[in-house]
Amino acid sequence: MAGVSSGSAQYIYACTRLRVRKAQLIPREDYLRMLNMSLPEITRFIGETTYRSEIDELGTSFSGINLVEVALSWNLAKEYQHILELVPGDLKHFTASYLRRWDIQNVVTVLRGKMQKMSPGKIKEVLVPAGRLDRVALDRLIAEESPERVAEALKGERFYPVLERELPRALETGSFAHLENELYKSYYARLIADAKEGVKGGDIFLKYIQLEIDIRNIQNLFRLRAGDVHEDVRELLIPGGSFTVDELQRLAGLENQDEFIDALKRQVKMTPLLNALEEIRGKTALHGIEVALTRVQLDQMERMSKRYAFSILPVLVYLEKKKYEVANLRALARGKETGLPGERLQGYLVM
Amino acid sequence: MVDVATTLEIAQASQAGMSAVGAGLAVGLTGVGTGIAEMGIGAAAVGATAENRDMFGLALLFTVIPETIVIFGLVVALLLLF
Repeated sequence: MAGVSSGSAQYIYACTRLRVRKAQLIPREDYLRMLNMSLPEITRFIGETTYRSEIDELGTSFSGINLVEVALSWNLAKEYQHILELVPGDLKHFTASYLRRWDIQNVVTVLRGKMQKMSPGKIKEVLVPAGRLDRVALDRLIAEESPERVAEALKGERFYPVLERELPRALETGSFAHLENELYKSYYARLIADAKEGVKGGDIFLKYIQLEIDIRNIQNLFRLRAGDVHEDVRELLIPGGSFTVDELQRLAGLENQDEFIDALKRQVKMTPLLNALEEIRGKTALHGIEVALTRVQLDQMERMSKRYAFSILPVLVYLEKKKYEVANLRALARGKETGLPGERLQGYLVM
Repeated sequence: MVDVATTLEIAQASQAGMSAVGAGLAVGLTGVGTGIAEMGIGAAAVGATAENRDMFGLALLFTVIPETIVIFGLVVALLLLF
């Protein structure tokens, strides 16, 4: 009894902390206000929020858009690493699994940088050490001379077999897209395996993974439609969601957008997604569709996190929302720097 | 006659003993109930306060609300004993 009780108290403690943090994220009104600000004003504004220490720390080394970019990345990495320390027991296991996506992003960035012969300093600027590979491990990777040596240094990592198999082809063609797809597919397969290995709370984690895969696959289908790709796209889809890859392939083959949305609606059971698909019907801009689908994912996760109040879901909701907050701020800063009007930028923000 | 008086005394002593046991149970069980109720609230309160210190007062108030259960137990115990 004592063990069970203290365990649940730890879950309550961690989930409450993350709920409070989620409540402290930048609200919609502030984004709308920032749309009318210039880049220095945005920098000052975020320097007064949770990003203060990073802005202060990096203010002497960077300026303008680079300061915002690096400060956002540093803050995200610090925040994620802090959460990994904060969450107890099984939640740590699932959170660590989830955060491995940053390892993939970082490794692919390092490989691309090495391929393009970028300087180590430049590569380091764009890395987000939020996963299992920390700053020191990434520094070691950056110091390697060639992409092959980088891959060699990753022996023992979960994704090494995929890297070893796909890297020669990527180096030969000069495109890392296929390698990246395969790495993410193996990441999702591994997440499903982690959720199913019998750890308490795995079933709830699995619900999240399936939702994420479904939304990602639907987004990919819309992207493929926008690119006018109707041939065999099985390789680009992620297995493990509530639709099979064959079902998705059949949907991808449909020529007409309305037909496609109708067919998709027949397969979907989730009401918010059905409503979003109906709203999407009139939209043509891909970024608008993607933002609408991301919104559905976040709303659905939020709903699930209320149903399973002391599980991995409140942690994941915060991690995802934080990720989009950083993406929004980055989009805002970049957009302002290139002089995009506020109305145009608003369409790219997940609010 | 003596036997009746002794029996009466035994019955009274037993009654007082049972009242004491009842009082003990009233305070003890409500104490356990309060502890269980406060476990969740306390954990959440500490979590919320760790993130936002302004919540301390409110968190403390929420944490002590289940104390009412043990106070009810104490009242019952006092009624049983006096």
